[in-house]
Amino acid sequence: MSGLKTGANCARLDKLKHVPPRLGKTVAVFLVVACGLFGQSSDAVLQQAIALHQAGDLDGAIRAYREYLAVQPDSVQARSNLGAVLARAGRYDEAIAEYDIGLQKSPDNPALLMNLGLAYYKMGRHAEAAARFERAITLSPQFKEQVTLLLAVCYNNLGRYKDALALLAPLESDKAGDAGFDYLYGTALIGDGQGAAGTAVIKRILSKGESAEAYLLRGTLELTAHDRDGARADLEKAVVMNPRLPGAHARLGELLLVLGDSEPARAAFAQELALDPDEFTSNLNMGVLAKQDQGYVEARRYLERALRTRPNDPGVRYQMANVDLATGNLEPARLALEGMIKEAPDFAEAHASLATVYYRLKRSADGDRERAISEKLMDQRDSLAAGTKPR
Amino acid sequence: MRRWFILGALGVAAPAWWVLAVGAQPETRRPHFTDVAGKSSFTYRTDNNFTGRKYFPQTMCGGVAAFDFDNDGHMDLFFTNGAKLPELEKTDPRFYSCLLRNRGDGTFEDVTAHAGLLGKDLGFSFGVAAGDYDNDGYEDLFLCNAGRNTLYHNNGNGTFTDVTELSGIGKKPKDILSVAAAWFDYDNDGKLDLVVSNYTVWTPEIDKICAVNGQEYYCHPKIYPSVAHRLYHNLGNGRFADVTDASGLGTELGKGMGIAIADFNGDGYMDIFVANDTVRNFLFVNQKNGTFKESGYEWGVAYDENGNAHSSMGADAKDYDNDGFPDLFYNNLKGQIWGLFRNMGGKYMSYVSGMSKVSRLSEHSSGWSNGFVDYNNDGWKDMYSSNGDIDDMGAISRQPDTMFENVDGKEFRDVSTQLGADFAHAGFQRGSAFVDLNNDGFQDLVVTALFERPRILMNSADNGNHWLLVNTVGHRSNHDGIGAALKLTTASGRTLYNHVTTSDGFMSSSDKRVHFGLGAEKAIESLEIRWPSGTVQTLKKVKVDQILTVTEPAK
Repeated sequence: MSGLKTGANCARLDKLKHVPPRLGKTVAVFLVVACGLFGQSSDAVLQQAIALHQAGDLDGAIRAYREYLAVQPDSVQARSNLGAVLARAGRYDEAIAEYDIGLQKSPDNPALLMNLGLAYYKMGRHAEAAARFERAITLSPQFKEQVTLLLAVCYNNLGRYKDALALLAPLESDKAGDAGFDYLYGTALIGDGQGAAGTAVIKRILSKGESAEAYLLRGTLELTAHDRDGARADLEKAVVMNPRLPGAHARLGELLLVLGDSEPARAAFAQELALDPDEFTSNLNMGVLAKQDQGYVEARRYLERALRTRPNDPGVRYQMANVDLATGNLEPARLALEGMIKEAPDFAEAHASLATVYYRLKRSADGDRERAISEKLMDQRDSLAAGTKPR
Repeated sequence: MRRWFILGALGVAAPAWWVLAVGAQPETRRPHFTDVAGKSSFTYRTDNNFTGRKYFPQTMCGGVAAFDFDNDGHMDLFFTNGAKLPELEKTDPRFYSCLLRNRGDGTFEDVTAHAGLLGKDLGFSFGVAAGDYDNDGYEDLFLCNAGRNTLYHNNGNGTFTDVTELSGIGKKPKDILSVAAAWFDYDNDGKLDLVVSNYTVWTPEIDKICAVNGQEYYCHPKIYPSVAHRLYHNLGNGRFADVTDASGLGTELGKGMGIAIADFNGDGYMDIFVANDTVRNFLFVNQKNGTFKESGYEWGVAYDENGNAHSSMGADAKDYDNDGFPDLFYNNLKGQIWGLFRNMGGKYMSYVSGMSKVSRLSEHSSGWSNGFVDYNNDGWKDMYSSNGDIDDMGAISRQPDTMFENVDGKEFRDVSTQLGADFAHAGFQRGSAFVDLNNDGFQDLVVTALFERPRILMNSADNGNHWLLVNTVGHRSNHDGIGAALKLTTASGRTLYNHVTTSDGFMSSSDKRVHFGLGAEKAIESLEIRWPSGTVQTLKKVKVDQILTVTEPAK
């Protein structure tokens, strides 16, 4: 071990801006272990690194930390600090690598987990971020308050709206009226299908004046309710008011697809991806559109990116399997579809595709079975949805 | 000098403009279409009796058949019509069917009453299929109805007789809506059999009312049950047996629309594709023993590539890429993507709507009847669709038809706006037939639309391309030669494929003569005909620009 001492009181919070829109006073942090409790053998190089870090000389700090770690590779604190400075420099991949090395030495270090979660969060890799935040909170519940809103952002982005609501609902009495909170909460409510409660939150936001966030939320709600004219008006207003509002172009793209305007939809998704190359909805839809054009290489690229954001998303995995099916890669398609069906036995379309795969593999009995299951599921679904709207 | 001076004066923009001007390719001359219906006196208009209340079947009205009922060499036209609702009766002449005799001079004579085809006793009619079921050399008619279906026998003297009862072909389960039919000889016994596409069980009494915010709309098909399509085997002597269950068709329940008949796997037996509305499509592959196996999954045509069933409407199966295997085209509603499937060597179909550009071209149109047709005689079959929304609920409910021009068998481009104002007419178009009405070798179009007189769209035939029309006369095979597969090889070695069928699109029946556009080619090296009987007949050095009647050899 190095001469560095360890301890919870050794942490300092280094404020770092975060990405969720309008989160107001919420503060995300990278934890820097740097409180100067070094023993007699403390390394001058490490002290220099910390000093450089605190002075904002990021390159210098990185060089110094690395120099120190070359001699003291097992120093978790130095590793964590190096990760923090790399993250601050926007070098998230490298930061994650350093945190991962640190976690190999100290797997239950909540500060390291928090930092790693933040790095993933900054990269838009919300599934990985959420997993680290959750683990950090389990190990050290005092982090919960700091990470709640970030975790809610992750959940919303992952489509885990119920989990987001579980975090946010208890905070409503304190935080209602905070634009950032209301936006997050409204997103979760609408995502969870709670339209009436979502509408109340939207009204709360609009009562403080027009905002792109409110229009995005309302447009999303209208899109869900098949009110295409209303959705179009609100979503277009949202992107005009704040062209950089995360998710606004993606939602508008979804609406345009519903309206059958695939070219403008492509443009909207492209705009969203210019802001955030990892945005899930846009990657998924660009993948589907590319697949539709039989641009399978391009489709795979978009879908892989979408999968990186939501690693287990069944919709994306299904599209990937269909790319395999369309390109004659029957075995990968079969494996993927069988896996999906194991996880989601009611996924009718996956059964249908799997039937085709089996038939092409000359496994007629398996094809017949999957076909029967698919048809039964589709019939059940049709009987529930029948006659609810004009076509 | 003056030109250069002007370019110089244009400054920076000039070079770009100059490059564009130099790079522009001259457009190939395209034929256009002119509606000549106005030159003829007839009262028929497609009447679904919409008076405010929206009955479910009203969206489907106006079947059309192009056939030569009097064998005078000029193709005639027949139109089906609706009925008074909820009575489901043709209580008024405005609901009668219509037979127009082609005078051969660009005009048509209404001979419906004389022919006995008014259909006063019928209910609401949908599709029509023309075919010589009794091999007497005269084309007969089958009508699909709400209520009993009808078989009209052509008496050969300008009149028809309703032989439904005698034939046994009228039998179907109670209250079934039959919407389309196709004649074909599934067992190659030389007699035309009939497949009927059924939609659902419906009567005015069980019609459901669907509304949103007080505005009624045509209900989603899913609230009505799916039903089996029916197959009738021609026993000879004017009689048919319902072999729906014995053939294997009876186990598959769908909401049938258009039917395409082709030998998809090249085994010499005709297969059946049925486009279903909101239900997966069916491909019944002929097992050569009187039965069919529904193989939509195996062939990849049951759903689109995302496992979605669409509102499939019209259907046609022809070889659009001239590789010797019939491909498949079905259209559907706005916001969906029309299905173009390429036949992969008779083994399965590959969904090529995307790479052929059909997906992008079709997303704004609600298609009904459709088909592959080489409208410009360049040897590549183009994609036509009659369009118009289900309902009248938005600004773009009335729609123009579309023609997607085939570019070298690989992709398609939309040339609809270049085919003349009459082609671009927006409406609630429904039925359509491809037919050479003036025997000039270019395909004309006949299109019905709700609440309107049909358009009889004559092809201007003015691009100089050559052609061949083949009128097959079966001997051991059925008299029409339906199912015969034709392979044409030009002097330059180009090969073109087509087959004899009258079934394409939705509710409609087209000119049975096989059409080949030849482009600039002035000579045909050979024409090979594989008859349903198995006989292969080859003609050498065939003259272009003619209507060629080919009779099947006796042996």
